[in-house]
Amino acid sequence: MNCKEFQEVLPYIIESGGNAEEEEHLRTCPACAELVQDLRYIATQAKLLLPMHDPSPRVWTGIEQSLHQESLLREGRTSLWGHVTSIPAPAKSWTPVGWVMAALVLTAFSLVLINYHPQLPTTAPSAQNMSAQPVPLEGDDQQLMGRVSQQAPDVRRAYEDNLREVNAYITDARQAVERDPEDAVAREQLQDAYQQKQMLYEMATVRTLP
Amino acid sequence: MTQVKKIIASGLTEAEAIERAKGGDAECFEALYGLHKRRVYSLCLRMTGNTAEAEDLTQEAFLQLYRKIATFRGESAFSTWLHRLSVNVVLMHLRKKGLPEVSLDEALEPQHEDGPRKDIGARDNVLAGSIDRVNLERAIESLPPGYRIIFVLHDVEGYEHNEIAEMMGCSIGNSKSQLHKARMKLRELLKLSRAEKAARR
Repeated sequence: MNCKEFQEVLPYIIESGGNAEEEEHLRTCPACAELVQDLRYIATQAKLLLPMHDPSPRVWTGIEQSLHQESLLREGRTSLWGHVTSIPAPAKSWTPVGWVMAALVLTAFSLVLINYHPQLPTTAPSAQNMSAQPVPLEGDDQQLMGRVSQQAPDVRRAYEDNLREVNAYITDARQAVERDPEDAVAREQLQDAYQQKQMLYEMATVRTLP
Repeated sequence: MTQVKKIIASGLTEAEAIERAKGGDAECFEALYGLHKRRVYSLCLRMTGNTAEAEDLTQEAFLQLYRKIATFRGESAFSTWLHRLSVNVVLMHLRKKGLPEVSLDEALEPQHEDGPRKDIGARDNVLAGSIDRVNLERAIESLPPGYRIIFVLHDVEGYEHNEIAEMMGCSIGNSKSQLHKARMKLRELLKLSRAEKAARR
């Protein structure tokens, strides 16, 4: 089997493995082996991508306007914010202490972002990969985990998983900004990642305040 | 971030919020929007590669949700149901735009220059360990629309080829073929990006 024949059946090999002849070609042809490794790597990394972007507030405004125009919204809405704490308005039930703590967290993250002046690497970057390996939680993250330590195990696990995910995203975005400080997209992604982290801290704060 | 829902749902469960939204409760609908807006918008953005379009489609998806939520019977997870509804909204929009990737199977055929043969004999460093999320997101955004949609649906969102074929009105073989070519194109884009960055250093 030559490379041309191998690559004609490559989609099936990627999906379900090859037969003996194809596997033999894979073992003996470095170019095809690299190709297969790359394609599998791309597929694996794509599964790790998170929904990172929030729509602008105009989307909800548009939805509300459309529903009103169509007279679909029921009059006399029952306020449920005391019961369902959801993303659009979690702060409605916050205490003043909660507001202060959230403001501190927001300020801290903003300062990190604003004062972030990346140094160009003096050596070739070695940690640019999207590693799926768990990274130990440190510093403030450990404090956050301490804050939710009284929560149910699945909630604690959810916090920890989300922290790791968002930290990995921050690392990637930060490296992208380091490589190109003028990269507006990378900066936006870094900001998005910090906002996600901020949201986690806010939720932890809200849930643990008296 | 599905697990966030477990964290933020402090009183009513999502199921209870859905039941109230079915009865026209606007606050519960708003809560459901808050829970799912990021995933729906990210899906729309990745599929279209355009912020304004993605926002319009997110709006349309949630309007359809409001109109159809009474038909949700709980046979699948709500997030799965909403996600499928959103995919259909995007595909319907793309069909109206007349993009080739959702019309005929023939239109899904690859450009010759994107075929795998160009890699024959080529040696280069493997990508493993050298790409990050930002680069991958950017490369996905740069894919031709037909490739991008299949790649996002299969590799990012986890749909099976038979589901994609059904949604897009193409054969399973075409879905597989398009996915392969999308990954090949991504590989090319990622290697190009890596080479450009190396040259700048």
